[in-house]
Amino acid sequence: MGVSLHKPETIEEAVRLKSEDSEALFLAGGQTLIAMMNAELVEPPALISLDRISDLKGIDRQPDGAIRIGAMTSHADIASSDQLIDAHAVIGEAARVIAHPAIRTLGTIGGAVSHGDPNADYPAALVAADARFEVVGPGGRREIAAADFFLDYMTTELQENELLKAVILPPAPDRSAGHYEKFSRVDGDFATASVAVTLLLDGASKIDWIRIAVGASGPTPVRVPAAEQSLQGSDMGAAAVAEAAEQIAAACDPLDDVRGSSDYRRLLIPRLVAKAVTITKSLAEA
Amino acid sequence: MTSTQAFDLKINGEVRQVRADGATTLLEVLRQQLGLNGAKCGCNQGICGACNVLLDGKAVRSCLVIAAMAIDREIETIEGLEQDGELSPMQQAFLDTGAVQCGFCMPGMVLSATALARENPKAGVEEIRDAISGNLCRCSGYVKVVDAVRRVTGA
Repeated sequence: MGVSLHKPETIEEAVRLKSEDSEALFLAGGQTLIAMMNAELVEPPALISLDRISDLKGIDRQPDGAIRIGAMTSHADIASSDQLIDAHAVIGEAARVIAHPAIRTLGTIGGAVSHGDPNADYPAALVAADARFEVVGPGGRREIAAADFFLDYMTTELQENELLKAVILPPAPDRSAGHYEKFSRVDGDFATASVAVTLLLDGASKIDWIRIAVGASGPTPVRVPAAEQSLQGSDMGAAAVAEAAEQIAAACDPLDDVRGSSDYRRLLIPRLVAKAVTITKSLAEA
Repeated sequence: MTSTQAFDLKINGEVRQVRADGATTLLEVLRQQLGLNGAKCGCNQGICGACNVLLDGKAVRSCLVIAAMAIDREIETIEGLEQDGELSPMQQAFLDTGAVQCGFCMPGMVLSATALARENPKAGVEEIRDAISGNLCRCSGYVKVVDAVRRVTGA
């Protein structure tokens, strides 16, 4: 009796094991799943560990400047990577503020993303980075845009028997920048609210494009294209930033919980957005 | 592996046999099978840090590691820090500073600090605070803990 543990060495074998036992769960870094098992929130009959699949680990820069992060890459490795520069820095910054050092040692980007918790740090950062997720299943491989991946609280576009293989960040041009601004009660806690920004400045130091995603403020990361467009071509004066921030805050639907009332969060979000975009612009200018 | 099996773990330089299934945590085998009670079961949720051990030299929550995932890796617990009857420099610093109050969080705290000092022998106060940020002390004795680690890193 007891729970079985499989340790496949290839992605194909992992997908096959899952299709043979749909109640088995993929085990990534385990920093959420094992806590849920300890609390008896889930009781899988079997675990399929992804730890031995070397294809799932590592951060690689593609010839075109895109970055590919294997799903089993740890938060610690992402936090300390020197490859995540310019707009890609938003992902490294998010990784550095996930929980505590011991959690970052084992926790992985693939596990965190697949869990689909909108209060976690990667979802907003990946939406702001315009990331794509490479997914494999019995039917083959497909790519899903981050904006289409997160559907609701703990609910993603990932289908049963599918496995997240890698996160792909589009090329980040020179004079682009990325920043993740997290507001939490104490270090290591989930965010009360968070804001992820990437932007590109043109030759005249005006906004070429900007992407702003708010985390921990609704069932999925919140992006408001109209607010982003209102900043395009501008030099982001305080009034324009404040107006865009209010527009984004109006689209948020924050929870009332121990990390802050929804009223409090509604006051916090526009200020955090303004702070985050201002910091990101100064990073791009530096 | 299918359900409960016997396998070897390398703990504090010794090979120890345990029996566990795919849901049994490293913390459970340390405490219930090996008599290594230094790692504490505080929250069993990865929040408190009282169960921290070192896995290949890095601090991890033993409550969030499946025991069978630690096969072929080096596990160090608080019991393994002492050498030839002598406390490790970090243990001695905690003792000399009077950093220990009730003691429940201490094994995890000392191991987090040990991992830091090995990786960054001259760690400063901010790095020390970050390293122990995931170790809760409900006696709230953090100041002396930081002082203890500073003795070792020279900060």
